[in-house]
Amino acid sequence: MLETRYLLVGSSHAALEALAAIRMHDAEGSVLLATRDTAPPYSPTVLPYVVSGKSDPNRVRLRSDDFCEAQKVTLRSGSALASLDTAAQMARFADGTEVRYERLLLATGATPAIPKIAGLTRVQYHVLRTLDDAVRLREALGRARRAVVLGGGLVGMHAAENLVHARTETTIIEMQPQVLPGYFDAQAASLISGAFAERGTRVLCGQSVVSVAPRESGFALKLLGGERVEGDLLLIAAGVRPTIGYLSGAGVATGDGVLVDRRMRTSASNVWAAGDVAQAESFLQGGRRVNGILPNAVEQGRIAGMDMAGDPGARDYRGGVPINTYHFFGRQALSVGVDSLEGCETHVQVDEAAGRYRKIVLKDGRLAGIFSIDLPFDAGVMVELVLRGTDLAPVKQAFLENPRDTARALMSRLWR
Amino acid sequence: MAAYETIAFDAARCTGCGDCMSACAQEKTGGFDHAASRIQILPAANDGFELALCRQCGDPGCVSVCPAAALEKDAASGVVRWDETKCIDCLLCTVGCVYAGIAYDERTGRVAKCDLCGGDPACVKACGEGALRHVKSAQIYNRYGELEDLFVPGLAGCQGCNTELLIRHVLRAVGPETVVAAPPGCIPGMGTVGYNGKTGTKVPVFHPLLTNTASMLAGVRRTYKRKGRDVTALALAGDGGTADVGFQSLSGAAERGEEILYVCVDNEGYMNTGMQRSGCTPYGAWTSTTPVGERSHGKTQEAKNLPLLMVMHRCAYVATASTAFMEDLYDKLARAIEASKRGFAYLHIYSPCTSGWRFPSQANIEVARKAVETGFVVLWDYTPDAGLRFTRPIDDLRAVDEYLEAVGKYRHLDAAQVAHIQAQLEKDLGLLKELAVRGAQAEARALA
Amino acid sequence: MSALPQAKTLPGHVVCDGNEAAAWGVVLSRPDMVAVYPITPQTSLVEALAQFAADGTLDTEMVEAEGEHSVLSVLQGACLAGARTYTATSGPGLAFMFEPYLRAPGLRLPMVMSLVTRDTLSPQCVWGGHQDAMSVRDVGWIQVYCESVQEILDTVIMAFRIAEHRDVMLPINVCHDGNYLSFGVCRVDLPDAAGVDAFLGKADTNWHVALDPDRPMGVDPLTGGGGPGAALFARYRKGHCRGMQNALQVIVDTHRDFGDRFGRRHAPLLEEYRLDDAEYAIVTIGSMTGAAKDAVDEARCAGQRAGLIKVKTYRPFPLQAMVQALARVKAVGVVDRSVSFGWNAGPVFQDVLGTLAMLPQRIPAVSFIGGLAGADLTPGHFARALETTAQALAGAVPIAPVWLNENDR
Repeated sequence: MLETRYLLVGSSHAALEALAAIRMHDAEGSVLLATRDTAPPYSPTVLPYVVSGKSDPNRVRLRSDDFCEAQKVTLRSGSALASLDTAAQMARFADGTEVRYERLLLATGATPAIPKIAGLTRVQYHVLRTLDDAVRLREALGRARRAVVLGGGLVGMHAAENLVHARTETTIIEMQPQVLPGYFDAQAASLISGAFAERGTRVLCGQSVVSVAPRESGFALKLLGGERVEGDLLLIAAGVRPTIGYLSGAGVATGDGVLVDRRMRTSASNVWAAGDVAQAESFLQGGRRVNGILPNAVEQGRIAGMDMAGDPGARDYRGGVPINTYHFFGRQALSVGVDSLEGCETHVQVDEAAGRYRKIVLKDGRLAGIFSIDLPFDAGVMVELVLRGTDLAPVKQAFLENPRDTARALMSRLWR
Repeated sequence: MAAYETIAFDAARCTGCGDCMSACAQEKTGGFDHAASRIQILPAANDGFELALCRQCGDPGCVSVCPAAALEKDAASGVVRWDETKCIDCLLCTVGCVYAGIAYDERTGRVAKCDLCGGDPACVKACGEGALRHVKSAQIYNRYGELEDLFVPGLAGCQGCNTELLIRHVLRAVGPETVVAAPPGCIPGMGTVGYNGKTGTKVPVFHPLLTNTASMLAGVRRTYKRKGRDVTALALAGDGGTADVGFQSLSGAAERGEEILYVCVDNEGYMNTGMQRSGCTPYGAWTSTTPVGERSHGKTQEAKNLPLLMVMHRCAYVATASTAFMEDLYDKLARAIEASKRGFAYLHIYSPCTSGWRFPSQANIEVARKAVETGFVVLWDYTPDAGLRFTRPIDDLRAVDEYLEAVGKYRHLDAAQVAHIQAQLEKDLGLLKELAVRGAQAEARALA
Repeated sequence: MSALPQAKTLPGHVVCDGNEAAAWGVVLSRPDMVAVYPITPQTSLVEALAQFAADGTLDTEMVEAEGEHSVLSVLQGACLAGARTYTATSGPGLAFMFEPYLRAPGLRLPMVMSLVTRDTLSPQCVWGGHQDAMSVRDVGWIQVYCESVQEILDTVIMAFRIAEHRDVMLPINVCHDGNYLSFGVCRVDLPDAAGVDAFLGKADTNWHVALDPDRPMGVDPLTGGGGPGAALFARYRKGHCRGMQNALQVIVDTHRDFGDRFGRRHAPLLEEYRLDDAEYAIVTIGSMTGAAKDAVDEARCAGQRAGLIKVKTYRPFPLQAMVQALARVKAVGVVDRSVSFGWNAGPVFQDVLGTLAMLPQRIPAVSFIGGLAGADLTPGHFARALETTAQALAGAVPIAPVWLNENDR
């Protein structure tokens, strides 16, 4: 049995940030970093770029070789957390190792959601959550002639773009009426879909798959409307779910993910959770939500680490704000906040010809959301304006006309 | 942790001319398109200009959120470096930055950020208004950070007091081949000489009499010199022990040219024992022995100008310094250390006292700065060869009220007293200017 | 510096006054640092030292300080850095250096200082008297008083060895009387320099407390405030007292060794003169003793069984020696060259009174005060003192001190 002061399960942004925060306050306390991965720490966010070839899989590690030694961390990789006894403060791993911890961080991230489709077990399909997945998908890409991407979220859209570049005939199937639901409104989404359509990609929204069957050199999908789509490469990118299977019977309260308070504490004592696994306070929408995006994982990991180490500088999580940055065919789409809120005012600017779009959502004179395609702004500045609840009334007109420069000037003054 | 150089922006001086952006664009792209500049000057909502520029943060948000390890804080230069070969153009770094310091560049479709031009920023050179300044004080902090701290941890100064920092840095610079003398006052009061058989420093330290710091150090220095050892004799003294009861030994040692580094930390009174008046207490100041009542309103005499008195001793080096101008202070400290190997070196450091001067503890540096900006304290140095020279210009001084208003011990002053202070400052300044002119002439003659 | 060879060959004897004799003692003792400030009647002593240094006869770090306060401060710094140090002062100079003077014994610094005694102000006075030395008799310095010019030279040398003895480690005042010894000229013999080097050994002043970067320590941090701090303070004080008591034996041993090496013997603590069968005796201190001995001789010729006890070591007070000496007589008179204002008597008289409490029987004691402000104490004055003491033995004990020069013309 191993013993450690801090047990961090997971090795991506939330866990690494928590570790940094712990070490700021507690230079010596023993830390065990345990991850199911065998690769050095990397970010799931980079995986579509490994698939596209833009990122070399050997150059995506988030920390250098000497990191563990420098941080006085013991690394255990290759074995996932299997079960948890929060009363005994004991974690059991898939390889049978038991670890007694004083403080535990669950940063186990998320696992691809696999929709219930008849016949799915009989065909080969890809998911994209690990570096191994990415390397496999990249290899498959080169061979594929007809691909189907199940899910029009970020992972699916990135993969589809890669397939377009590989001149593969591609179909995107999305259950929602638009691609990138939750990040962009229908209007923006249609601009994005349009870019794919222009390049020959079929984008089927509001469609779901009822069954799948193997074919000689691939598979055939049957859609709810009866249409059949055949292909030789199937990517399931229908979203992710927090990885919480090991919590069965552990006495840690869960919803969609692990429920945490504003210090990332779970319902069990000495257990924290952060990142894609956590269901934390939402800033704009109220209640607790899983908001599985990288900047939130960093913020939550930091708060959890500070709280775990007893750092008096620890502060409450202000709440998650939906954020996304998306690059497609050399263009970029940005989203910060929510695209509608009760009592909000919305200002939309569209240049269909140029494919430019911007939507600003204000609530009580304060920024609630801003979305754009090819009209860039600084997402970090906008998030800060949202979180601070900065009153934009004095500069409203300027902000609506030129949100980027107005926000920059405003933030410059606020920081001074 | 290392400290780093940075670009400072003074919004009050910025005219929005855009020369910095042209220079940056030229440096980075060869063109003059301001959109390509990594420094962005923006018109502010009401008036004036604001800035978007990478702060080269100590704990950079952009690095934390980069999924591709394409951003990294360079431990040597402090620059947050962007590796274009690793960057996947996901733009998450722009989410991590709240300063718009790393931003999307439409022309390239990639992010761009300031890299300080390898240590010689083009924008700063282009700024003719002094709105941009390349602050290199980090070099000093790093240099000092690498030197051994020769005081024990846990000295107990008042909240907001600069003296601990000051004496730690002085001793770091002087080094371990040193004997320290700290006569009664705040410096031993915070524990530098130790208690009950325990010491407060890692070098030999003595708690001399309030009266004999300079002479006892003369004995130490001379003995080691006779033995062929170069041991620095360092006094860390307050103004009371220096200007008042310790003045005879100071004057004697200076006259004899004893090889001593004498640092006077001037907090304008006996602050360790509860704010009694000293010869360095300025006119008008409240102290517990120059109180404010119906018949009196603070000290009625001027402060003794101790550093000028030391000039009249023809010391090897004399300088005034302020805790608000640390680069100047460090430069003078280096000169003083060197001079103390061949004669008497006297460094007079004005150090506001949060407790005794009655101002909030976080305002210490601000108070020190205002003292200099109003000419209440003038920064200069002196050597017998070059004479007296100003180390900070005195042409553009602010009204002394600005300083007096920041300090509680002047709260009671009436208009006549303020006018008296202003007039006296101008007289003192006149004298200094005359000395400086003579110094400049002497130097010119020496060069000729 | 004691490792260097002597720069000059020194004469075997010189004809000089007491101040110059002290300076010759300094030359032979080879201190690393001498700090001086001139003050009457010590002035010719520091002039002699300055000349010796200028001539190369004395190789030392000479500090001409701006006042006695700094003199002693410079030397304390030097001593803490390992130097053997010397200075000399007198009356007002001693008063001015009082602050660092108080501090030297507590730091256990083995400093040597000649005190050319002088009466204190006021009345304004530049002449000899013991009032300056007696005013500092109990601040922790060792005090020895010389009788002759030769004894000054010899005692200055011995003082370094006494002060630097590891059982002692205390500063020492070698007192010689202003005017009578400082300016009185006679022939003195100089011990040979190599012999003095061997007698004194290497300077050993800061093995216990040092300002030395090779041995960093906090010298004299704040000590006290109750609890363990105050207990530590008490132990320091007790150690200081122990050092003073140890000095008695060290002084005896040093004088014996000096006599063995150089052939001149001086009484280390007390000198008993014609005391063996004495019925009564007078106690003297300093240069007055010569005249007093003449008076004793005269009295003996007249059939009186008179004797004399001379105090050489006054602090630490040689209590046992004084008990033994006084046990031989039935009455005692004490001639002081200074005053204890609080007792209306002389200070040495007070010490004798204290000693008497240790005797099995009470004997009458008389206080004489004389020789103030340069007044001459002649055999006639001592004859009166002896006669008064003899009368005390017979039962007529004066209750007030007898002022010997009160009616001089």
